[in-house]
Amino acid sequence: MQYRQVSVFAGKGTGADRFAETLYGIGIDAADLIYAVGDSEVKVFDTQGRLQQRWATEKPGYCVSISADRTVYVGEIGQVELFDAGGRRKTAWTDPERLGFVTSIGFFGDNVFIADAKDRCIRRYNKSGEWINNIGKDNRTKGFLIPNGYLDFAVDKEGVLHVANPAKHRIERYTMNDELLGYFGRFGTRQPEDFPGCCNPTNLTLTRQGDVVVTEKAAPRLKFYDRSGKFLTFVGPELFDPNCKNMDIAVDSQGRVYVLDTIRLNIHVFACEGGAD
Amino acid sequence: MNEEPTRRDVLGYGARGAGLLVLGSTAFYLTKKAHAKGVWVIDPAKCINIRLGTTGIDQFCDKCATTCVIPLSAVRAVNDFSKCGRCCICPAYFDVASDIGRDGLPVRKLCPRDAITREAIGDVDPDDPLNNFYEYTIDKTKCNGCGKCVMACKEPAGLGSIRLEIRYDLCTDCNRCAISTACPEDALARITRDLAPGGKAVESSH
Repeated sequence: MQYRQVSVFAGKGTGADRFAETLYGIGIDAADLIYAVGDSEVKVFDTQGRLQQRWATEKPGYCVSISADRTVYVGEIGQVELFDAGGRRKTAWTDPERLGFVTSIGFFGDNVFIADAKDRCIRRYNKSGEWINNIGKDNRTKGFLIPNGYLDFAVDKEGVLHVANPAKHRIERYTMNDELLGYFGRFGTRQPEDFPGCCNPTNLTLTRQGDVVVTEKAAPRLKFYDRSGKFLTFVGPELFDPNCKNMDIAVDSQGRVYVLDTIRLNIHVFACEGGAD
Repeated sequence: MNEEPTRRDVLGYGARGAGLLVLGSTAFYLTKKAHAKGVWVIDPAKCINIRLGTTGIDQFCDKCATTCVIPLSAVRAVNDFSKCGRCCICPAYFDVASDIGRDGLPVRKLCPRDAITREAIGDVDPDDPLNNFYEYTIDKTKCNGCGKCVMACKEPAGLGSIRLEIRYDLCTDCNRCAISTACPEDALARITRDLAPGGKAVESSH
């Protein structure tokens, strides 16, 4: 299995389809529209990188996810803003205690999972915005170990949460009731399947088949594992700015992987050679 | 017998008072000027060990350790605890390129002078080192400011909590600092004492 870059779009600049200063989060809806947040805006692109629409957020957005009913959730400091697919603001869930710094959002059924990097755990809400329980908080370290200040996770088809725990150099799996099911990953600098540095991987998503896709910092890499944790392949650092970190990832319905370069403010698109995964 | 001061006496007192005032002002001015003389600082935007954009432990520069005129350099590494991630595997403490031991940790330390200590803090799990936070303290009696840990700690590999600082209690404040002469990045600057550290440089380095 090999992935190769098929296109790059957005980038640093002042044009409507570019980002002037920041690019933090990316999400993809069921119709393969690509939502990116940066510069206190949501920008929506098609798969060719053409800007479809844009709108402002109340505060700078750090992550974006789109639910099955096409509600756009934007994670911010102290709140999550909800928009309809046209960019009209529906409401905001404001909870500085539980939504200190929102860096990832996922869905399963009527559950909305929100990563609070400030308190280093994941909050489980219902669709009405009522808090249900925490995930990853009730342990010896009182949360995930995220020296980068960024917590990322993804939810699979069975409702299992896959969480990047970078200072443990692990991907951990949890039930939505906060039961640790298992983990894979270890520190190492010599084998590509290992996670180097103080704290990797930083970001995570899942393919439709359940493969785990992660990004690392120093050096910036994109890596693929199957659901059991078996290493599949990686894309080397030469395509990204060497100072990149917290590179958010998303996968579309065709298995193409979208990765943010948080320094050059590019969106890189990778496809599996020989077709979708 | 009380004699009223004459006009000459009054003028004399006034003249002596004015003289004292001038002398006092001059002394105050000279004292302030002496205290305001320049001190040496490291410009973090120039030092290759600190500035962003250059990574890799093989790139580190040890001129601060090797060229200072005092035996153990006046430059020392300092860990800013407010920025430190307290990671289990700190790339400034461990030589992360070394072999991995049974405990999953690198077997060698990075500091050539063993100047960094690592201590688990809080509710310590003795069985799983990954389950703990760690405090990294730099022994100022061992550190010679070589900058190796600073290079390893800086972003994006680390959090940039370790930096190099000139210790003013050790610096002999040479007019022509040997480190500034040797620094390949022209990273030492002389600034007014009021601005140190982190103030705007007002004098050139050489």
